[in-house]
Amino acid sequence: MYEEPYRWVEAVENRRQYLDEQFKEGSPVVALAYDAGILLLTVSKGTPKIYEIYDRLALGGMGHPADLEKLRFSLLEMAHVEGFNRSPADVTGVRMVKYGIAPVLKQAFEEVFKAPFIAKLLLAELGMKAGKSSLLTISYDGTFEEASHCAVLAANPSTQRAMLEFLHRQAPERLPLDQTITSALLAWAVGDRAQRRHEAGETEPDKTQAPAMEAPDALASYLHNRLSDKTIECALLDRNERGSSKYRVLPPDELSRTLPHDLKSSLSP
Amino acid sequence: MGMHGDFYQLLKGQGYQLCVPAAAGSGVDIPTATTILAFKYRDGVLVAGDRRATAGNMVMYDRTDKVLDLDRHSVMAIAGVPATAYEMARILEHSFKYYRRTQLQELSFEGKLRALSKLLKENVAAALSGTGAVAPIFAGYDVEQETAKIYFYDILGAEFEGVEYAVSGSGSPTIRGILHYLNTWGEQPLQAMSEEQAAAQALRLLTSAAEFDSATGGVNREADLYPVVKFITAAGVGTMPDARLKSLFEAKVARHV
Repeated sequence: MYEEPYRWVEAVENRRQYLDEQFKEGSPVVALAYDAGILLLTVSKGTPKIYEIYDRLALGGMGHPADLEKLRFSLLEMAHVEGFNRSPADVTGVRMVKYGIAPVLKQAFEEVFKAPFIAKLLLAELGMKAGKSSLLTISYDGTFEEASHCAVLAANPSTQRAMLEFLHRQAPERLPLDQTITSALLAWAVGDRAQRRHEAGETEPDKTQAPAMEAPDALASYLHNRLSDKTIECALLDRNERGSSKYRVLPPDELSRTLPHDLKSSLSP
Repeated sequence: MGMHGDFYQLLKGQGYQLCVPAAAGSGVDIPTATTILAFKYRDGVLVAGDRRATAGNMVMYDRTDKVLDLDRHSVMAIAGVPATAYEMARILEHSFKYYRRTQLQELSFEGKLRALSKLLKENVAAALSGTGAVAPIFAGYDVEQETAKIYFYDILGAEFEGVEYAVSGSGSPTIRGILHYLNTWGEQPLQAMSEEQAAAQALRLLTSAAEFDSATGGVNREADLYPVVKFITAAGVGTMPDARLKSLFEAKVARHV
């Protein structure tokens, strides 16, 4: 029946609705450049959602764990074979996305007789020079966008916008790591709260009230309630890291030391 | 196959072949020869190598790096045909990273040893034909057992643990005896030496090897050319800078030669 064009368009639209439903419960992902690299942060219930891909590439994901794994392995294979056959310098985020993962996602999305990937990806690349980093977000249909300072994954576009607006206000330039972690965590809270409101069918808050609602104290209090059974997952692409691999997971004790006192105390049980 | 975290299998699946043996006795001079050594000292393992590559009587290059970092806790020192040895090091470096990134955990120390052994076994035909023989030393810090270890290999892939030290390359027979003497009757065993004492001994050993083996480079002060000396400890792999090697050489080695 999909031979008829409008049927196919309808099927794709249904598929889009189906996929949007799947991300409602997902945990947002934040990537934010800081003075020595890029920070990736999310909050999870145990299954990791932030991964090392190559020497200067890291991945954050939302969606079904099995699909994320499949796409993660595709990226890992592509990156390592390319890095071995040519050079690590040839393994770039843009090439991985444009010629690697985006076509795969698009094809899976449009093949209406097969299951699509329930996944949104954020690929962060630490540039060889400071200020040359790249943050690529790829949607389940293969569309992608590139940014250099901050990028996010969230369940819906309005949440993504709210998170990005918050980040641009809170961290308009590259800051030290401790301030960046705070900004990223609060941006996660903005996103998570917006998703929950969206899911509950609440209307978008009035823009004139937004700054008050996004006050750090209110967000810290929100985090305190939301993080009780979850783990903050945080990784860095750190320019100062020794050796060729720049990826580093921030262990919980270091994360705890880095958080400002007011946020730390509101997070403790 | 990629799901198993085996990078070499992934490469082979794409048609990669490590080495193709050439016909024996082709008469081509292939760059070889070296002196590499590793011994345990107070804080871990020292690994050092001279920097000369030769082909027959010809010195091909005097700035070869024969002690290669594979990851944060392991190095491979190479003796034999550089083309094959460097390719093996590249495969191993990618393999260890690929395993860590796919499996979300480090490959075990034993796993790393096996990976090198497998590559040497794959290379047997080329080694026996005379175009690809490699006899490396693998040294690293075993995070599980919290100790630094040394292993050496023959060209067929047999693996041996160097409990106190290991040597390889054309200059190795000279210094093997010295290492035995030093460790048995020296003022202190190798394992009791400080980093500086160990580095001074490594410079003396490589200078001795160069004295008797024309294929070993030793030290060339005029060209500011020093061996590569690395240390592996719980903190990872570190390289002694040339400036420190130079001052050590002037103070502890040069006055004796």
